[in-house]
Amino acid sequence: MSPIKTMVAGTFGAALLALPVTLPAAADETAPANLANACAGCHGTDGISPGPTPSINEISEEDMIALLTAFKNDEAAVTMMNRIAKGYTDAEIAAIAAYFASMM
Amino acid sequence: MAEVRVAVPPTARKGEVIEIKTLVSHPMDNGFLLDYGGRMIPRWIINRFEVEYNGEMVFSADWHVSISTNPYLIFYTVATETGQLDFKWYDDNGEIYTHTAEITVT
Amino acid sequence: MTQKSTRRDVLKLAGAATAATVAPTIATAQSAGGVVVIGAGFGGATAARYLRRAGVSVTLVEQNSSFSTCPFSNTVLGGINNFSSITHGFGGLRREGVNVVRGRVNAVDPDAKSITLDGGDTIAYDRLIMSPGIDFKWDAIEGYDEAAAELMPHAWKAGSQTNILRRQLEAMPDGGVVAIAPPGNPFRCPPGPYERASLIAHYLKTEKPRSKVLILDAKDSFSKQGLFQAGWAELYGDLIEWVPFSEGGNVARVDPATNTIFTDFDEHKVDVANIIPPQRSNRLVDTAGLADGGDWCPINQTTFESTIHANIHVLGDASIAGRMPKSGFSANSQAKVCAAAVAALLAGNDPASPSFINTCYSLVAPDYGISVAAIYRIIEDGTIAPVAGAGGVSPSDAPASTRALEADYARGWYASITADMFG
Repeated sequence: MSPIKTMVAGTFGAALLALPVTLPAAADETAPANLANACAGCHGTDGISPGPTPSINEISEEDMIALLTAFKNDEAAVTMMNRIAKGYTDAEIAAIAAYFASMM
Repeated sequence: MAEVRVAVPPTARKGEVIEIKTLVSHPMDNGFLLDYGGRMIPRWIINRFEVEYNGEMVFSADWHVSISTNPYLIFYTVATETGQLDFKWYDDNGEIYTHTAEITVT
Repeated sequence: MTQKSTRRDVLKLAGAATAATVAPTIATAQSAGGVVVIGAGFGGATAARYLRRAGVSVTLVEQNSSFSTCPFSNTVLGGINNFSSITHGFGGLRREGVNVVRGRVNAVDPDAKSITLDGGDTIAYDRLIMSPGIDFKWDAIEGYDEAAAELMPHAWKAGSQTNILRRQLEAMPDGGVVAIAPPGNPFRCPPGPYERASLIAHYLKTEKPRSKVLILDAKDSFSKQGLFQAGWAELYGDLIEWVPFSEGGNVARVDPATNTIFTDFDEHKVDVANIIPPQRSNRLVDTAGLADGGDWCPINQTTFESTIHANIHVLGDASIAGRMPKSGFSANSQAKVCAAAVAALLAGNDPASPSFINTCYSLVAPDYGISVAAIYRIIEDGTIAPVAGAGGVSPSDAPASTRALEADYARGWYASITADMFG
């Protein structure tokens, strides 16, 4: 710990760091596997959950798009998926749905 | 009223370099930020800190708007004689926060 | 919670590991496209498993015969789960074709593209993935060294430290004080100390209700603070006291012989002292200078390749991964992106654009869960940043049914992520 805790313009620095990123408009597309694999952290590898979290491996492409879109628009009562779904564009939601559907 | 905390070693040998820690709880509003209603939060900081050791100034600092909330300051001085250290923080609003610590030098 | 076949895997492993240590220089390391992964935790085990799924031959080097997770170790401290339920063997990884080698790595040689194990065996790699986790800064708190940690456990790596702390809690008389001293940022698992305070409070409220949890913090704010404090007030009254930095919470010195903690301005004689010291990347990275003289390893945040040495990837707690917190979920998410990038690079292709998630569930009580989540992407300057308008914490006004559901999903998360890591 330096003698004086903050010598830089702490408030301004923190404010800049806190600025989050906006989604790239039509930048390079993220690989569907990179999008979908992150889901496994809660829903299990390939969407197959061994515990109380719902499995997502047997949801049709259409249903998954509808679900994620409803979560994103706060049109469904959930604990976390509304916060998660807002992080994806409609195109990415479609890519995730197609990825899981392709494994059925 | 700000709350102040000070740590001074209760005893020291003559000539020893001693570490003194100070912490004052204060918002240190820099005058550049807006509140949730979009109004400027006026500047309100502690602008000066002084320490006297048996009446002799051993540390002083002018503080400006870049000092963080709840300033935590450590400094060093030489233990010269038994006596007391008087700490003063000067607030923009005219208040002076004070603290006194005793030290026995052998 | 329990993991199916965990104990059986551990038992089987004892035999397998012995065989593996006899000839660790074997096979895969020399073959084309061979990847060596160091560390079988949230980052390393996940990376090894997903590389295998991509058809890449993988050697996973781990010093222990099983892995005990730091996540959910607070449930062991709270007396909710036993230690075996957070311990996982490597049988599933072996069945999927990962060459699991038991050994302690003592050096990485970026020029020779090999690692050296204790005992002198070397393993060559085409690409190396390191997920070695953290080490402690033993010099940061006066009096707190490795010997002191036996008396004042950190329990910030799950294992014998977890059991020391649990035994101390069990032995403590009713009316005792449990101190928890979290470090400043950044550190492993930002909400972890506060979940720990919660679940220890849950145990004390049930078994030793006159006791107290005292959090002596080096910070003025912490992860999910509003949710934790509301939960504490609701469930535990004044059993938990939090002393932030600005009220003198910073721990400067400890005396393990008398169980005394000295903050900058006060001293606290306590019954159980859980000191969580400041952290840095595992010192193994220093053998190749991968932290570049700092605490954490700078990397290309798209591929996790070290900016210091080519062909070495660093992920998880040890890496500088933009704004992602140092968590098991982060490491798991990073590992899948890194595995895909490594597979692409080995095949001569460009790595795909990454996407990450981090979610951290915390149990305020066994039936009271809260969470924080974020989606992460690479921004223009090449660093990882959260997506605007997404993520965030559980609602502050949620009903008890939502807290109970999130507690269930916390257990679901643990079951899913450990299955994602170990098969």
